[in-house]
Amino acid sequence: MSSFILRRLWQMIPTMLGVVLLVFFLFSFVGGDPAYLLAGKISNKEQIENIRTQLGINQPYYVQLWIFIKQILTGDFGVSWATNEPVSHIIATRIGPSLTVLIPIMIIEAVLAVLVALGVAYVRGSLTDRAIMVICTVAMSVSLLVYIIVGQYVLAYQFGWFPVQGWGESFSENLFHYSLLPILLGVAVGIAPNTRLYRTFILDEINQDYVRTARAKGLSEHKVMLKHVLRNALIPIITNLMIYLPSLLIGHFLIERFFSIPGIGREVILAVERSDFPVIKAITVYVAAATMLSNLAADLLYKAVDPRVQLK
Amino acid sequence: MKATIKHLLVCAAIITTTSTTAAIAAKPTPDMNKVFHYQFPVAETGFDPAQANDLYSNTVMEALFEPMLTYDYLARPSKLAPRTADLPVMSEAGKVYTFKIRPGTLFTDDPAFKGKPRELVAEDYIFSIKRLADPKLHSQWRYLVEGKILGIAEAIKTATKSGKFDYNQKIAGLEALDKYTLKVTLEAPDFNYPYILAMPTFGALAREVVEHYGIDIPAHPVGTGPYRLDKWARSSLISLIANPVYRGHVWSYTAQEKGDEELVKAMQGKLLPTVGRIEIAIMEEDQARLLAFQSGELDMFQLEGPLAPKVMNGAVLKPEFAATGAKLSRIIDPEIQYPYLSTRDPTIGGMSKERIALRRAIFLAYDDTEEIRIVHNSQAEALDYPIPPGVVGYLPGYRSVNRTNLPLAKALLDKFGYKVGADGFRTTPQGKPLVIKYTSRPDSLGRQQEEMWQKTFNAIKIRMESDKKKFPEILKAEKACQLQMRTNRWIADFPDGDNFMQLFYSKNIGQSNNSCTDVPEYDALYEKAMVMPAGPERDKLYVDMARVLEYYGAHRISMARARNMVMQSHVMGYKKHPILLADWLYIDMEKPKGEKQ
Repeated sequence: MSSFILRRLWQMIPTMLGVVLLVFFLFSFVGGDPAYLLAGKISNKEQIENIRTQLGINQPYYVQLWIFIKQILTGDFGVSWATNEPVSHIIATRIGPSLTVLIPIMIIEAVLAVLVALGVAYVRGSLTDRAIMVICTVAMSVSLLVYIIVGQYVLAYQFGWFPVQGWGESFSENLFHYSLLPILLGVAVGIAPNTRLYRTFILDEINQDYVRTARAKGLSEHKVMLKHVLRNALIPIITNLMIYLPSLLIGHFLIERFFSIPGIGREVILAVERSDFPVIKAITVYVAAATMLSNLAADLLYKAVDPRVQLK
Repeated sequence: MKATIKHLLVCAAIITTTSTTAAIAAKPTPDMNKVFHYQFPVAETGFDPAQANDLYSNTVMEALFEPMLTYDYLARPSKLAPRTADLPVMSEAGKVYTFKIRPGTLFTDDPAFKGKPRELVAEDYIFSIKRLADPKLHSQWRYLVEGKILGIAEAIKTATKSGKFDYNQKIAGLEALDKYTLKVTLEAPDFNYPYILAMPTFGALAREVVEHYGIDIPAHPVGTGPYRLDKWARSSLISLIANPVYRGHVWSYTAQEKGDEELVKAMQGKLLPTVGRIEIAIMEEDQARLLAFQSGELDMFQLEGPLAPKVMNGAVLKPEFAATGAKLSRIIDPEIQYPYLSTRDPTIGGMSKERIALRRAIFLAYDDTEEIRIVHNSQAEALDYPIPPGVVGYLPGYRSVNRTNLPLAKALLDKFGYKVGADGFRTTPQGKPLVIKYTSRPDSLGRQQEEMWQKTFNAIKIRMESDKKKFPEILKAEKACQLQMRTNRWIADFPDGDNFMQLFYSKNIGQSNNSCTDVPEYDALYEKAMVMPAGPERDKLYVDMARVLEYYGAHRISMARARNMVMQSHVMGYKKHPILLADWLYIDMEKPKGEKQ
């Protein structure tokens, strides 16, 4: 196991180097020159050159790339070019609000989708199954933006069940007051496609021989579904959840913008608008690392849920 | 010129009298239960007057820091008024300004002052102005002092060489004659410099505070303004609380326009601030702002163009919206939108008759009333003159010779040999293909304006090429005169016509003359006007300059957007000011029913 983990960690280095090169060259050649933005509406060549010197963007590319690599190794990405706020502080303070909304969405959505998928798979082919599948197809065809706009208007403004927007200072106030509607909408958006997907995973298992054997042994349907079918269907479900995990790091910018949640998603958009390279590169590197680590975690979880899986 | 000096002195005398009343008034007693909820559509960046480079940070700073001067709240066109200093005494024909700072103005308490009250003195302004020139801070406001205040340019050169700005050095143009007297000497006469010194950028900081907090100074704004920063969740919430050591400000203004009488009646004599707390939330989405206002979560918000059809009926609130008690304060922004065609471009530039005809024909073909209706939801006003309403030098009734006239545009092109080729598009008089490259940003406004121009070019059978660029790239290309055509916009830094006319002066190419306008006749007139005080003589020159621009077809002065501020019925005394950013500092709020006023 440990040699597997070490090998996978070792393999991450070239992947990370690829990400670093991609981000660096994209920003250097496509991202625009931030000195012109920072210089303001009236500036001269000397001022712009002075800013470029201070930002280090007039140095040879190999020097800039080496600085970038050193930043990754030390974890110190410096300060935002737009606000002078340390990048580490930006990430540390914005990740909390994002997770306050996204973790509940992920957990509630996964639990509900698995339960509904189990239920409809159990009554597969029935009117209930078909009706739920039709509802899911319709629900997943509607854009998230529509859910947000309608949800905010009807549930928050018209009915007054939730605040229209906002963010407080305490975790409980944020979770139980400001996040309720964003969580509800996030779950509503995600549950439909996941229910369909998990239903397929479960149906694949239901038709396996071991399920027939379990039934033949006289096990109750309840036990067959939860103990045998679900356990075996968990591998693709875990894969799906693990794919979702790194996205927690970049937040959900639409939800954050509409509900004025000071999360990392909004910060990413702001950083792109401001050509704020230190913030963009830090977040990109963290997301790349999180993706690779969550893939590794998914592999380890496969082993935990199914001892037949061999880690090579 | 004499008239202007006299005018300034008379104003000074009148306003000084008013201000003395303010100075001797009792301390303000803001009601901490009065909380004004406001919003910004874009996140702030930080609260350092030298470093902040965005409108919203500057808005907050106007409440925290104090420049020496401000504006009369009701006067239109905008007029300077004292803030921490009396109006300056001008000498040497606009080259020297002497300010008397009012004693007793205190900085808000801060650990950097070690428990002692800290009075504002002339040296604080000198220090704060020097910060604008410090190359390390790369202040975008450096152009306001470099080459303007005597000795600043040399100090910048020395600092750039040595890598460190010496804050102890004497700057010839910044002199503290005594504790409260500041003498500002300029390199050349500039009658507008007092306006510049009224910008929030010129707010005073205490040196010990800047040294105490170092690079974290944007998070520690310690000023003398009516509010202090209480809580700041970056990009989310800015909470200001009334500054307990603020001297107070008596609301004492004279009605100037229709509707002002009501404000005067409600507010006259009140000692501000009366509102204890200001909470500013960052709300990026239109729907969130509107619904938050309708649910009572906001007391006031700025209605952007896309929301206008939901709320506005032309220039007034829709009846169903007004019925809720909501009020509107609307102005035409002191700005101009001006599509330009570069006079330095090899295809369309130059001063030959056929090139001038081409440029004028393009502008004659453009229907900006259609852009106002479709793109801006009728929330803009067509302009003909380079100086917008609310700015000194504005000329109502002026009509451009380049107003929309499609048949004339086509006739001009035909006359000067721009023939329609076999492909249905015009060629140059030399028979070469004629293609105009229109540059815009890849956002919704940029796309819509590009569509309007595409329609215009189709109408006159000229091929148009779309050129989408990110904003920094546009700025870079403009500074190098590499763009052929773009729609630009300029909003007033200060309310004088010079701030607009300088946009087309060829010596400002690479700085503010982004359209690279290079017309010698215009330059000659501008050089005469720039050393003249505001008045009929300068206005006459401005008209000639506007005509020169029209004749050469470098620009089409197109429009200015409307700014609509929508507020709840309990907000009292608010009127949108064209220059002041934090004009909500002049309001009061009615208490909820049941509480005594």
